[in-house]
Amino acid sequence: MVKTISKPYMAQDTASVKISLTVKKDTHSMKLLTKTMVYFLLIMLPVFTAGAFYLYATFNKEIKHETDEELVNDKLQWMRYLDTATINNPVFAINTPEFNLQPTDKPVQTKHKLKGVSIYQEPEDTYAPFRQLTQVIAVNNKNYQLTLRKSLIEKDDLIKNIIHVMLAAFGGLFLFVLLSNWLISKSIWKPFYASLDKIQRLQLNKLENTVFDHTATHEFNQLNAALNNMTTRIHQDYTNIKELTEDAAHEMQTPLAIAQSKLELLLQDDSLSETQLKGILTSYDELQRLSRLNHNLLLLAKIENQQYPVTDQPDLCTVVEKYLSLFEELIREKELQIHTDMIATAPWPLHPALTDILVSNLLGNAIKYNYPHGNVRIHISAQTFSISNTSELPQIPPDILFQRFKKQHNVYTNSNGLGLAIVKKIADSYQLSIQYSYENGWHTFSAGI
Amino acid sequence: MKVLIIEDEPALRNSIQEYLTHQGYICELAEDFNQAIHKVNEFDYDCIVADIGLPLGNGLDVVKELKILESKAGIIIISAKDSLEDKLRGLELGADDYLTKPFHLSELNARVNAILRRKKFDGNTTINFNEITIKPASKTVLVHNKSITLTGKEYQLLLYFIANQHRVVTKSALAGHLWGDEYDQAGSYDFIYTHIKNLRKKMLEADGEDYIKTVYGTGYRFG
Repeated sequence: MVKTISKPYMAQDTASVKISLTVKKDTHSMKLLTKTMVYFLLIMLPVFTAGAFYLYATFNKEIKHETDEELVNDKLQWMRYLDTATINNPVFAINTPEFNLQPTDKPVQTKHKLKGVSIYQEPEDTYAPFRQLTQVIAVNNKNYQLTLRKSLIEKDDLIKNIIHVMLAAFGGLFLFVLLSNWLISKSIWKPFYASLDKIQRLQLNKLENTVFDHTATHEFNQLNAALNNMTTRIHQDYTNIKELTEDAAHEMQTPLAIAQSKLELLLQDDSLSETQLKGILTSYDELQRLSRLNHNLLLLAKIENQQYPVTDQPDLCTVVEKYLSLFEELIREKELQIHTDMIATAPWPLHPALTDILVSNLLGNAIKYNYPHGNVRIHISAQTFSISNTSELPQIPPDILFQRFKKQHNVYTNSNGLGLAIVKKIADSYQLSIQYSYENGWHTFSAGI
Repeated sequence: MKVLIIEDEPALRNSIQEYLTHQGYICELAEDFNQAIHKVNEFDYDCIVADIGLPLGNGLDVVKELKILESKAGIIIISAKDSLEDKLRGLELGADDYLTKPFHLSELNARVNAILRRKKFDGNTTINFNEITIKPASKTVLVHNKSITLTGKEYQLLLYFIANQHRVVTKSALAGHLWGDEYDQAGSYDFIYTHIKNLRKKMLEADGEDYIKTVYGTGYRFG
């Protein structure tokens, strides 16, 4: 049963928490470029439609005008021809949709009339649009109604053509926008994405190395300048707080040393009563606890500040053996069974001081929280280090496992609730994995490279 | 034996002085860097206890000065900083020991004692306390000239007790001395009692006097 560790946000943890600016994947957000493209297309669509209508209307008018001119031209030719025509001319018998002469009683008109009509077309079984010219004229002293028509059937083709052209233009534009977007995002937005990437990788304890570079774009320069400003300020604040923590912890050691020395001298006074001595001793012990607490908090800060560089790789087995012999009395006192399964050498990428702390904290816990005649199992391979121990204590709730000052019980007053927090901090700062599991009364902590 | 205590905090300076004086040392004091430099140039000391953080200078520079003067004094650095670099630098410059604040006065005294023994007599000296004789070179203990066999821890205990004779030594100081700072990882001080019981038994068997007195619940006093 392996628990993943989650820790609430705390001042000390900030360095290990990556600043995450990644927006949660939500379906409502789209790329800026996609957005501009969509807006662009949404604007272009009515513009293109209106354009299509305007073109249609203009062409329509033009065709009508042209047709009318042709009709008038035809009329003039016909009238010239009819003036010379005899009464028997077959022209008077022609009756087609395009040309028709009909005897009429209406008076002669000096001006022609033009209008659009629909004529039934037998082969297609539809009505087709025509322009029609009518005028009552006199031929050989008889009045005729002259009707000339011209088909406007090409108008349909015209609409089709216009739609085709418009669609092609629209599609072309669409492709053009896509392509230019791609090209723009490749070049113009490049510095923006570079900055974004940098922000996402930002870690509080590595801020001093973060510089947002100068770009060729004014707005991005403004953004990067603001970001540089911000990171510098955050870094300064962070360093100040770090230094304050460290300085405060150091400064505390001197008054502690004074108080402790005065109490130790007081203990030498023979005239004091037993109660007084006990009071002094309690204060003395509590001062020591305070100083250890202070020391451990300082240690946490130092680990976080990476003040323990990996200089050489100490052998974990040697360290474990060292602490087994150091804790020998305690092991013997509780009559614990120690089972070790260690490979000969296991160099770990940790500062020797931190290796000591890691081992002593975990081994110390395994002994402290064990019961008499209990067991401790230590397993070391090239990549993993695990300590299991028997205990009457229940499983540690995962949410408080590595938290500071969360003691699992009050029986052990010697605990300051920082041991596992320090182990966790070491693991986090040096990219080790640390896991806790509980099974059948066995508590196991495993660390891995 | 003359000891120079270089420490800017008057209260701590006086505590150290009081404890060491009681243990038979002649103590002189320096409260800042200039005084320290002046005193080490003017007088000879057997041991120097120097704080690192001083007004007007750094305790490590006092160590340098002592080396320039080719002083034979033993040097213990005390610092509020538990910094490995400072420690290594101090020892590199020629300091003999390094103690982090806060410390037990009994521990400081034991270390002064050990350094003087090492420095002054090259370890070829015997420690005598009434019928008890200790030869540090061979780590042998004689009671009424009869050798007794002690474990490593019991031997260390006895040395610590004799160095801090007639003083109340707390259990935490003993535990810290015998097991280092890691002992607090592991729980109680109860196991100290076992070692003391065994040491007392071995000395009584050799017809030694029972010098180890339990002082109420506070600790132990030797002699």
